[in-house]
Amino acid sequence: MNDVYVLLAILAMGAVTFVIRALPFLGGRWFKQSPVARRVGVFLPPAIMALLTVHSVVDLGFAAPGQLLPATVSVLVALALQVYARQPLASIAAATVLYMLWIQLAA
Amino acid sequence: MGYVPLGMVFGFLFVQAGGAWYQALAASLLVYAGASQFAMIPMLAAGLPVASLALAALVINLRHAFYGLSLLDSQPRHPLKRLYLIFALTDETYSLVTTLSPRPSPEQMALLAAVNQGWWVLGTLLGAWLGEQLPVSLVGLEFALAALFAVLTVEQWRATRMWLPLVIAPVSYGLMAWWWPEQALLLAMAVCLVASLLWAGRANRGAA
Repeated sequence: MNDVYVLLAILAMGAVTFVIRALPFLGGRWFKQSPVARRVGVFLPPAIMALLTVHSVVDLGFAAPGQLLPATVSVLVALALQVYARQPLASIAAATVLYMLWIQLAA
Repeated sequence: MGYVPLGMVFGFLFVQAGGAWYQALAASLLVYAGASQFAMIPMLAAGLPVASLALAALVINLRHAFYGLSLLDSQPRHPLKRLYLIFALTDETYSLVTTLSPRPSPEQMALLAAVNQGWWVLGTLLGAWLGEQLPVSLVGLEFALAALFAVLTVEQWRATRMWLPLVIAPVSYGLMAWWWPEQALLLAMAVCLVASLLWAGRANRGAA
């Protein structure tokens, strides 16, 4: 991958991420006093995370239709493990290994 | 410590996708946002425009905009330490500094953030090194991103205990995927934003 392109992409993503993280420190007072902003802050992040989860499963299925079922089941496993055991690394590792084994054995 | 294995997966996938180890290192030093770093790998490999990558970072990391709120009253005095803590406010660092008891001092928070990033960078280097040594590609390892999003969804639910966003998100995604599959994610996000504004406005009037 081209160095200049990768560096530009990294700088752009880094800048966007930094500005996002700095927002409350820039507009902290408004953020804290606006009840609407606070409630959006409660509602929107879980919705976005759920969207990204669904989207990444659909994306894997889109790349190869045979992967939709293993991806769906593995994501459900990750969700269930995280709800009941709350060990992020274990949830990610178990679901990922399940997915890898499944698509490699099915191939 | 939890950052080492995830950093390794990132470094490994990055090198296997055709990137160089120092590019992966630069990402972990300068972007330092796990999920969006995973998402950048296929986008870079496909040569997508820089604006698309910036948009992906915006969407994936938007939740971080709300992390700083709980740190407004306890910021390190030194301006550089303050800037660094803001820069390094990842999911893991945020949950660490806000759940430790007794709560660490602002100066300790900056140190904890730096230690966390150190583990992430170390993992990245180890993973990139492994990726260059191992001739085999680990088919399916990219699923780690989906699993990471699933874990973050559960933790968001745990923090808010709200079901409505978790119902609206997949339903709107399904509808948008049916209507315009290529732009389903972006359109569904717009739907969720409108829904959150409506919900916030209604709850606001209800409270008044």
